[in-house]
Amino acid sequence: MANWGMIIDLGKCVGCQACSLACKAENNVPHGSLYEQKRHQDIYWHKVIAATEGEYPAVNTQIIPMPCMHCEHPPCVNVCPAKATVKRGDGIVMQNFRRCIGCRYCMVACPYGARNFNFKTQEDKEYQRPDLPPDLDLGYGSHIGPWPYPHRTRGVVEKCTYCFHRIDQALENGWEIGSKMDGEDGVLPACVEACPTEARYFGDLDDPESMVSKLLASGTCIKLREEMATDPKTRYLPR
Amino acid sequence: MQLSFAPVQGTSRKYKILVAVLFALALTGVIAYIIAYLNGFKLWGINNSVTWGQLITVDFFFIGLSAGSLVVSSLVYVLGQERYKPIGRIAVFMGLLLMMGAMFTVVTDLGRIEKCWRLFMFFYLNNMKCLFAINGIFYAGYLLLLFTYLVAALSGSKLTKFIAPVAVLWAVLVHMGTGAIVGFIETRGIMYSPMKPVEFISAAFASGLALVMFLSYITLKFSKRPIDKNMYVSLGRMLSVLIIILMVLVLVDKLTHFYPPKRESVMFLISGPWAWIFWLQVVLGYFIPLGILFNPWLRKKVGWVIAACLICVVGILFERAAIVLPGLSQPLQYYPGEIAGIWGARGGFPIMIAETLQTVGIVALVGLLYVVGLRYLELLPASNGEHAQGEPAEHAATAAEGGHT
Repeated sequence: MANWGMIIDLGKCVGCQACSLACKAENNVPHGSLYEQKRHQDIYWHKVIAATEGEYPAVNTQIIPMPCMHCEHPPCVNVCPAKATVKRGDGIVMQNFRRCIGCRYCMVACPYGARNFNFKTQEDKEYQRPDLPPDLDLGYGSHIGPWPYPHRTRGVVEKCTYCFHRIDQALENGWEIGSKMDGEDGVLPACVEACPTEARYFGDLDDPESMVSKLLASGTCIKLREEMATDPKTRYLPR
Repeated sequence: MQLSFAPVQGTSRKYKILVAVLFALALTGVIAYIIAYLNGFKLWGINNSVTWGQLITVDFFFIGLSAGSLVVSSLVYVLGQERYKPIGRIAVFMGLLLMMGAMFTVVTDLGRIEKCWRLFMFFYLNNMKCLFAINGIFYAGYLLLLFTYLVAALSGSKLTKFIAPVAVLWAVLVHMGTGAIVGFIETRGIMYSPMKPVEFISAAFASGLALVMFLSYITLKFSKRPIDKNMYVSLGRMLSVLIIILMVLVLVDKLTHFYPPKRESVMFLISGPWAWIFWLQVVLGYFIPLGILFNPWLRKKVGWVIAACLICVVGILFERAAIVLPGLSQPLQYYPGEIAGIWGARGGFPIMIAETLQTVGIVALVGLLYVVGLRYLELLPASNGEHAQGEPAEHAATAAEGGHT
């Protein structure tokens, strides 16, 4: 089985937020209002942070896009009392809304702030794609095609899935998955696909021929908050 | 020592007003919860940074008070200290009610309350690596033990001798487990500490004893029952020792984290925007009560001792808040440097009406159960004079049913 990972080249990232927008559109993440933004109650599966060191004129601002890190040792899975957060065989850390009881312990434990609580019943106008059919099946093994969460459940925790629905669909249909050296990319998560500067790469970390493995082998990749020993599978090429 | 217990009459105007007020507050809390449930928790102060708020703070507080109350009861039922008998039953009763209150808070804090049964599907549908799930065993067993303990204590059964030590040890387990919920989370610097389970149980002993002293004194005073002032003075001495132990544990914990180089968390706690919570914990929880309890004149005056108890209980509520609110509000340092905008800002926690009314409602509900319990259960030591005037038949019945213990 594959071991999916993502590498983000910080040297190429221009901080345009196309990845965040693509994520919202793909996963039908609600827009969120200004009030919710102020209260920090809006939902983001993907964020872009700007970390500044030094003072003008000797200043350096680093733009860092942050999806879920899909850790090898995810603290959120350990602390979930209801087995609602699980690590799939291919390394993707998933949230099962049917099981989630909304205790928010995973949000306390996540070192990357990758998790969001759904604070209200979202109206249709909140979504990017209100035309999608209602979600009828979130069971294991079967899901309803490329957009898994047209209408979300209130009172549960949500997070990035590496667009698992795209990956699963590609596996079912035998399509190629991941970034390729020759530029003929296979199926990719929405954020990787949308990046205008091609700063993001996605693929199988266990496949020595994959582009992500070759980038990893270059030896320059960094992990965020390495001291937490979570061994994230979203890694970064420093600028 | 022969000591009989009798319920309060509950016919006075003050009693009825108290019941009515507590009922109204509890009902308001229920309505506030229903509204918050139907509208989503956007009505609460919690957000994606500070994910736990007033309810979890009160949950930790109540669990601590419950464990502490049980320990007070152990003075009578485990160690056989007859002089503390007047408050033995009430301590067990408070232990049960406070634990029930804690369960109300933790269950209503869930985003999907209808799925709370999942917490109790031990080893089957829940993840036993999770401290919440492990504590589920502790909490469920504790409630059962407390209930049995109370029944045994009220009926004067000899079983009390066997249940009491188990219940007290279980109470220690319950509260250490609760401390581990926050203490094992490395992500949150203010919470993360191997000391947390020990610190929690120490805070529980101090706050539980202080609350039993305060509430039993007030109850005895209002129900005009005999008050053994020497008992309170001697319990006051015990409280001062417990507070010192707690203070030392907290000091060592904070000093460990204060020692360079990783000291951001403790600096955020003691000098950040939430520092007032921590300093209220220190001043109200430790300094003022110790000031009273070590004063050679004041420590012998029961009124001052009881005041010290109340201040200590309030201080330890701030201790719980100082774990939850600053612990979650401290920004996560995803990358070295100053992170701009919302992702680097500290989490806010506004006091919202729905959440506050619910918190007050749960406290009122526990209070209501306590007051009603006094009316129907033989919890308080009987006053001979009072019985001679008002409740002769009731007193006789009490004695016949084994009220004499």
